[in-house]
Amino acid sequence: MERSWLGRVALVLVVAIWSVWQLVPSYHYFKLSPDDRNGDVYDKSVPGWGPDAKKHLNLGLDLQGGIHLAMGVDVDRAVKAKVARRADEVAEHLKEKSIAFTLVAPDASGLRIAVATTAAGDVEKATLDFYGSELYAPGGSADGQVLFAFKDQVLREFKGKAVEQAEKTIRNRVDKWGVSEPDIKRKANNQIQVQLPGFKDPAKAKDLLGRTAQLEFKICDDENAAFDAVRTQLPACPSSRDGMTFPLPDGGCWTVENVELASGGARQSTMVVTNKRPELEAIITARLTPLLEQGRTSVGIGEVVVGQDVVRQTYYRSYLLRSKTELTGDYIADARASVDNSSPGGGKPVVTFTMSPDGARLMEKLTTDNLHRRMATVLDDKVETAPYIQGKISTNGQITLGSGRNYQEQFEEANAIALVLKAGALPAPVTISEERTVGATLGPELVKKGTLSALVGLGLVLLFMAAYYRVSGLVADVALVLNGLLVLAIMSMIGTTLTLPGIAGFVLTLGMAVDANVLINERIREEMRAGRTVKQSVQQGYDRVFWTIVDSHVTALVAAVVLMQYGSGPVRGFAVTLTIGLVASLFTSIVVTRTIMEYLTRHDTARLSV
Amino acid sequence: MQFKTFDILPHGTTFDFVGKRRIAVVLSLIINLTVIAWSLPAVHGLNFGVDFAGGTEMEVKFATAVDPGAIRKSLDEQGFKDASVQTYGPDAENTFLIRVGRIALMGTEDVKRVEDAVRAKFAVKTVAFNPEIGDKLDFQFEKPVVPAELQAAVEAAGVKVREVREEAGLTAGTRSFAVITQGIREKVEHELTTRFAESKPEVRRVEYVGPAVGRELRNQGFKAVLYAIALIVVYVGLRFDFRFSPGVIIAIIHDAIVTLGYFAFSGREFNLTSIAVILTVVGYSVNDTVVVYDRIRENKAKYQGRGLADLVNLAINETLGRTFLTSFATALSLVGLLIFGVGTIFDFAFAMVLGIVSGTYSTWFIAAPMTIWLEERAAKRKAGPGAAAAVAR
Repeated sequence: MERSWLGRVALVLVVAIWSVWQLVPSYHYFKLSPDDRNGDVYDKSVPGWGPDAKKHLNLGLDLQGGIHLAMGVDVDRAVKAKVARRADEVAEHLKEKSIAFTLVAPDASGLRIAVATTAAGDVEKATLDFYGSELYAPGGSADGQVLFAFKDQVLREFKGKAVEQAEKTIRNRVDKWGVSEPDIKRKANNQIQVQLPGFKDPAKAKDLLGRTAQLEFKICDDENAAFDAVRTQLPACPSSRDGMTFPLPDGGCWTVENVELASGGARQSTMVVTNKRPELEAIITARLTPLLEQGRTSVGIGEVVVGQDVVRQTYYRSYLLRSKTELTGDYIADARASVDNSSPGGGKPVVTFTMSPDGARLMEKLTTDNLHRRMATVLDDKVETAPYIQGKISTNGQITLGSGRNYQEQFEEANAIALVLKAGALPAPVTISEERTVGATLGPELVKKGTLSALVGLGLVLLFMAAYYRVSGLVADVALVLNGLLVLAIMSMIGTTLTLPGIAGFVLTLGMAVDANVLINERIREEMRAGRTVKQSVQQGYDRVFWTIVDSHVTALVAAVVLMQYGSGPVRGFAVTLTIGLVASLFTSIVVTRTIMEYLTRHDTARLSV
Repeated sequence: MQFKTFDILPHGTTFDFVGKRRIAVVLSLIINLTVIAWSLPAVHGLNFGVDFAGGTEMEVKFATAVDPGAIRKSLDEQGFKDASVQTYGPDAENTFLIRVGRIALMGTEDVKRVEDAVRAKFAVKTVAFNPEIGDKLDFQFEKPVVPAELQAAVEAAGVKVREVREEAGLTAGTRSFAVITQGIREKVEHELTTRFAESKPEVRRVEYVGPAVGRELRNQGFKAVLYAIALIVVYVGLRFDFRFSPGVIIAIIHDAIVTLGYFAFSGREFNLTSIAVILTVVGYSVNDTVVVYDRIRENKAKYQGRGLADLVNLAINETLGRTFLTSFATALSLVGLLIFGVGTIFDFAFAMVLGIVSGTYSTWFIAAPMTIWLEERAAKRKAGPGAAAAVAR
């Protein structure tokens, strides 16, 4: 036989052996029960001579169970938050330039910055000199107020950044969580897609990914006596010598707490207490906020739990805070759950955190300036804790959880908070716009049915080819089986996931692969009918049909590639499987069968049943 | 020369495909137009799955037999008037596919009712509702309001609220609120687990797609099919001859529409996988057509002087065996899926087989005879004035 034929034999053998070798991890993977697949048991079962144990066939979400989420980032809210921060910066800037103003705050739309001032001209000049690249004054200055609007391009940039940041944060959270093979992608319309294969608890996933985790540090305005006015509007809380007695009256009541002042001395500060958070929110809007100077002070809400399990009481209390956010969770470098053994009544789960170097500097200044004041830790609009600043804090801090529940629940909560703090905050709340959950029992059943379907399809095609084309049919059958192995081997190697539609795609590529052999055999028959020898017919048949086979594969590939761009999840799995199948089929139908057929017809007098 | 063959189709046939083209074209036109008309929402419409219509779909398996009518009734009582309950797979599996909220979570009437109720209680400055989102109402008020009271007002209008979100942070006196209505998934799940507790319902799969996402996917799916057709036509044009293009386009669109017909007439769910079938049919069925076209071209050079109708008939007859057998072999591989496939996968296999059959039919009776019609037209133009410009293309 000629040298090129020997070369092809070598190639076919190498591909065949490689395919089988590449499937070794997959074989061991699927032999194990689903629970053992991702642990040591599996790692140990793959023999040392096999390929990387990680390169096994992956089952898609629809086959192994898991959760797929698409989350829409509320970019409008992110933009408003950004505008509010810019307003703070503008205020700082004007202060530095010693320009008189009374208040800098976002206007009613939340998208523009309104500066209340008597020196409108100076404010406009100083602000635009510095922020001219972002802001412009649309000229709506009236009543001693200057309005600054953001340029469209800047707003667009804010939105883009928000989605980018959200994606990063979600990716961080999932990474810290240890889900195997998660898939996180940014999609159109401010959407982020998250796939967690094998993940069994959708509620937990949604809770952890959906938490905004905005951590803010604010200083309590304990010198301010503004809330004393509510004493005439609400009933006083029932109290005994030891403190409040329960139950509290519906509709809220007032009580006092002793606060130490930074200047020395102490005073009794009024706070409002309710049974339910909405009640307190109602009181804040109706009664407390009007007492405050807008933009300077504001009200925070804390959740307090007293007593143990059966007799425990949860109530909500107000805090009087300075509006300014002194420091945010952005400066947190690391966080973890631990137990504070110094707290009264034994160990209490807490979150301890480490600030980044920049954050540590800011924290040091903040704590030095506000020594002996209380600092509130506000997580997602809830005051978790408000301890006195006893000394300089810089790198390490601690959050005591305000909420009660039992030790186990508290520790889990501490863990959750630590995780989201470490992974960073979402720039804005997210809403779930798409959710697909597949339970764990459905997958194995589908795998079984899918495998059975594929085997039946394969069996019928093999039988048909052998019955109709005899020897050349058997040759095609060999190629077909090799094609199947090759597809699975390539999928294992590049880590594609096998989905339910992917199984259908696999079956279909078997059909399409045999298609090519039908074309070849029919052509060989035609050549034989035209009076050529078997050897000539085989040569001619392959040569003439070569481009037809390429064409049929290319058109199918075009459709598969378009589908790959369009589809997501299981349907994408179909497109990927189809694509790999078509490429493999090109090889097996043209190279593999030809090599065997040429061997069978190597003599001029050879016979062949076609 | 030694060989043995048996043929399913005898070779050397001389069927007159071209002669049947008028009947075939009329038949195909009727089928295609009926499918298109039937798929129009005004006439009947496709049964869009959650992928495209938005809403919630749940696959629920019960341990014991449950009457689907009872499920429908209990959901109806919960206010899900449009809920659909289908048996999924064999009856013995006691598995049902439940679909709720197919078009939008809140209709314009609900929005109007909520808006009136809120206006009656508070000084509303602006209200915004985006039907694309479907579950969110944005309010702006003249004066600060209490979230809990706002929620109560909305719920009094008969719409359950999942969340009232303040738009400018909790601590300021807020005047802008987003009211997000409750998801149906939680409600359905709760209803089933309480009402049918003794049958131990197990929610095996949940798919929730927001209406905006659904619309987006639908548009993208339609575009994907168009792109695929365009790319394939360009490829065939470059590889062979751009004179092939009209016939190829017609054949592809014909097959895509016939495949769509399966979903239109059976009322089976049209979803992402359906788009995948149509795309695959498009990529697959074009091959037969190209094989025959190529043979026509070959024969034209070989048998100069024979009439075009003859040449086309000859080309189809010469390739008859392989056109039939390739389609047959591919369809054969799908038999397993037809037997064991449930739901979407069964639909995939069935529609694919239909597309394969249609591809073979359209090659023989539509695409190939069309070349004659095109040649005749070209000849007429050549004879007429200004022919040079037309031919130059």
